[in-house]
Order: sequence, then structure tokens, then C-alpha cells
Amino acid sequence: METRATVLVIDDDPDFRASVKAMLEGAGYGVDVAGSGREGLRKLREHRPDAIVLDVMMESIAEGYAVNQAIKFQPEFEPYADIPIVMVSSIQETPDERFGRSSDVEMVRPNRYLTKPLDMPVFLEVVAKATRRRSAAT
Amino acid sequence: MVAGDVVAGSPAERERIVVIDDDYAMRLSCHQILTKSGFEVETFEDGSQGLVGVAELRPSLVVVDLKMPGLSGMDVIRRVREIDPGIVLVVITGYATIGTAVEAMKSGAYDFLPKPFKPEELRLIVSRGLERRQLHRKSRELEVERELMKRRFISFMTHQLKSPLAAVHQYLDVLKRLESTGEVAAQRAEWLDRCLTRTAELRNLIDDWLLLAKAEGSTLVAKRERVELAPVLEGLVASYEERARAAEVTLATELEGASYAVVGDRNCVAVLFDNLITNAIAYNRRGGAVTVAARHEPGEVVVEVRDTGPGIPEEAVGLLFEEFFRVRRSAGDGSGNGEGAGNGTGGGGYRGLEGTGLGLAICKRIVAEHGGGIAVESEVGVGTIFRVSLPACAEPAARSDEGSEA
Repeated sequence: METRATVLVIDDDPDFRASVKAMLEGAGYGVDVAGSGREGLRKLREHRPDAIVLDVMMESIAEGYAVNQAIKFQPEFEPYADIPIVMVSSIQETPDERFGRSSDVEMVRPNRYLTKPLDMPVFLEVVAKATRRRSAAT
Repeated sequence: MVAGDVVAGSPAERERIVVIDDDYAMRLSCHQILTKSGFEVETFEDGSQGLVGVAELRPSLVVVDLKMPGLSGMDVIRRVREIDPGIVLVVITGYATIGTAVEAMKSGAYDFLPKPFKPEELRLIVSRGLERRQLHRKSRELEVERELMKRRFISFMTHQLKSPLAAVHQYLDVLKRLESTGEVAAQRAEWLDRCLTRTAELRNLIDDWLLLAKAEGSTLVAKRERVELAPVLEGLVASYEERARAAEVTLATELEGASYAVVGDRNCVAVLFDNLITNAIAYNRRGGAVTVAARHEPGEVVVEVRDTGPGIPEEAVGLLFEEFFRVRRSAGDGSGNGEGAGNGTGGGGYRGLEGTGLGLAICKRIVAEHGGGIAVESEVGVGTIFRVSLPACAEPAARSDEGSEA
């Protein structure tokens, strides 16, 4: 019997967290939430989710980018570097559109980028794909 | 920007000056005078060579003789301005051609120097021209900075507007989608409450934003009259009793004097202290206190709004009046699970609900428009004092106006 996939939602807006959590739980996922980048990184180590939903503008306006960079590139998070990150924000442009001219754009590039409010069917599909890829890999 | 200013204004950086004159003696003396004053000087003997030099050297200032064989001084002026309109042009001219010198100034030359001139006259005109250039440059830099700030403000504002909208949209969307499963029935009431709170937050933000937008290029003060502060402050404090009780904060006034009259706009003054008192309650601790105290100082009335909150770190004080700046609350204060903004009515704490992030920017604006001042004194772990000074009103109260309110 396979255990259900878990998703870590990192967003400073408690209302966004609440609705996303309900939606994901309704779809059968285990959900962990964090209200800041720092808390998110802590919970990442505690529970090792199958996918991460990550907001951009939190306490600082680029916190989500920093978290993305930390997970994917910092040695201390190396064991978590392959966990898919779904970045969500009310910013319309993807990091590539925003920072495309920068040579460091890969630092802030998530696996998927979605805008808020989430299109729920699309969101669930993206999360399903992200968690499936992971369980296939392990 | 600060670093840029230092470099631009640094006396260590030698400013470059180009002299274009067909007269050898003129070139020589200009070179000597200006080099002695610490400038880096290059001279050219005709207009076309001079222009190549200007394009290459990009000097701060060009001294040009109006009457030269070949390319005329007027042509040189026009072309130098095309190379860089920031280059200051000083025209040298004989008495006979002062009419042309005036023409030259119309084409963009800064000033003219009639021949013959004394060394100090050249020095004076050059240093004044360079000063003006500095001023221009500074104002251009400020403009660029302001433009950047504006753009940042807009992107932040957009985010602040979209966040509550997205939150509400998602609650409704999820409620609708999960309605049939019954899974969200328990949360339904709570979520609807949150939707109402977030839409109220959005409305407040739009109101505050409009207020600030109105202040820009215009004025918030509609009327200047005698405003007696004591009843205004007492009224505000009374209206916040309930909220303070819910936050477990005590409210007190220290208004010993009979009259604290200022000159100002009644509505603006009310908005000002409303914002400060709201903040003092929100950024406080359980069992804390808010004190509103007034006193007289020469020509002014000083009002202090004191709280016993977490205090503001020194490095944040300077940013306090910036739009959307918020003091980060340490995780240690409050009750642990939230930041205590929920007023006890469901939902729990949410940092973003305490205000719009524009309140202090509005306060600063209001105080400025009254010709007053606002200062902050804060000690981390002890509390914060916002001190507002407003110009005192010397005239006695007009009985008919004040009687009803006191």
C-alpha cells in the first residue's frame, strides 16, 4: 500500500494557505503549511514533502526566489534539490520573463510557475504531475 | 544613490574643461588660469578640432570664442549641445559682438565673458557654471530615483491589491468545488468571515491609496481653522475602548491643560491621530498600555502617542514613514500562534490585516501640510513614542464653534 503524496505549502497569506490546503486535502494529498520562507525550509527538512508550493512575495518581496535558490542550489539542501517546486504569485510574469536578461535566472527558476488566484483544475494537475514524477523517481 | 552623490560632488575628481579659441594668447592664458584653479584643461584652436575634442573628452564645461575662422562659435554651441546638453557653455566675445553673445545664450550658452577679462572673472564664471551643472545633475538623479520609487510603489501596490482579491476568490472557488463533498462545511462560516475581512482590508487600502494620491500635487488640508485637540483625542480614545479591551491593552490620556488649540484641518488631524492610536494598539503586547499625552511648547502643541509594544529597531526607524514599510514582528512576542491582530473574532492573527501599510505615510504627509513635525522615539522591548508637533493657535476659541464639542 503506497502512502499518499505530501505537499508543503509556503505562503505568508493564511487565507491562501487555508484554501489551498483544503483543496489539496480534498484531492487526497497530505498537506503541510509554512507562513514564511524560513519556516518552510525548516519543515522541508522535518517532513520531506513530495512537492512544494511556494509564494514569491512574503515578508520580503523576493523571499520565494531566495527559497527556490536555496533548495535547488545550496549544498545544505542538496538532499531536497530534486523536489519539484510550484511557484505561485500574483506577479504575472514568470521569473524567466522578469529576469530573462540576467545570467542568474536559473537560480530563481521553479519547476512550474502559476499565477494567483489559482486555476484549481490546472493547479491540481500540476501538483499531480509533480508528485507522480517524484514517486516514479524513488 | 548616496554613493553616486559622493562621487559626483567629490572635490578630488578634477573637472575637465575644453577651451576653443583661435587666439593663441587667449588659449594660453585660459589654460594657465584654469589649471591653477585645479581643472584639467585642453585647448583647441578651431571649432571642428574643438568639437572632436569635446566628443572625445566629454568635459564638464566648454569655453568658446564666438568669432573664429571656419566653424563659428554659434555652430560650436549648437553641436556641443547635441553631444551632451549637460555640458556648460561659456562664450568669450569682444565688445562689438555682445548682440551675438545674447544670441548664443538663447541657443543654450550659460553665460558670456566680454574681452578683455580678468583671471578672477573667468574663474568666477566657470565655477558658477559648474555649480549649476551640479544642481542640474542632482535634480536629474532625483528625478530618476523618484521614477524608480514610483515604479516600485506601483508594483507593490498591485500586489497588495491582488492578494486579498486572490484570497477571497480562492475561498469562494474552493467552497464551490468542495460543496458537494461536505468536507468544507465546518469551515464555511469561518471562511466567509475571512472573505468579509479581506474585502474590508481591500477597501481600506484603496481609500488610503486614494488619499495619498490626492495629496500628491495637491493638498489634503481643505480648511485651516482653530482645532481644539483635547475633544478630538478624547473622542478617538473613547472610540477605541472596545478594540483595546479585546487586545488587552489599556488606553489613557494625559490632557491636563484646559486647551490644546492648533491651526489645522479638523478631518486631517483626526485621521492623523486615529492612525497613530490604531498602530499603538495593534503594535502592543497583552497587558500593555497606550497613552495619549499633550503639552504646550513655545508656539506649538506637542502630542505624544506612546505604546508599550515591541519597539522599533534603530535601522527601521528611518524607513517607518515609507509606503508599505512594516516593522517585522519578532516571533517571540504575542501569544505564539499569531500576531494578535484578530481581535478575538475568529481567523487568528494576520500581519496584513493590521493596516494598509500606508498609515504612517499619510501621517507624515498630514503633519507636513500643517507645517508641523513628527518624530519617533523607540526602544526595543520597551515601547515607542510618536511625537507630533503642530502649530499652536493663538486666537481664543470662537464660542459658537467649539462649545458643542468640548
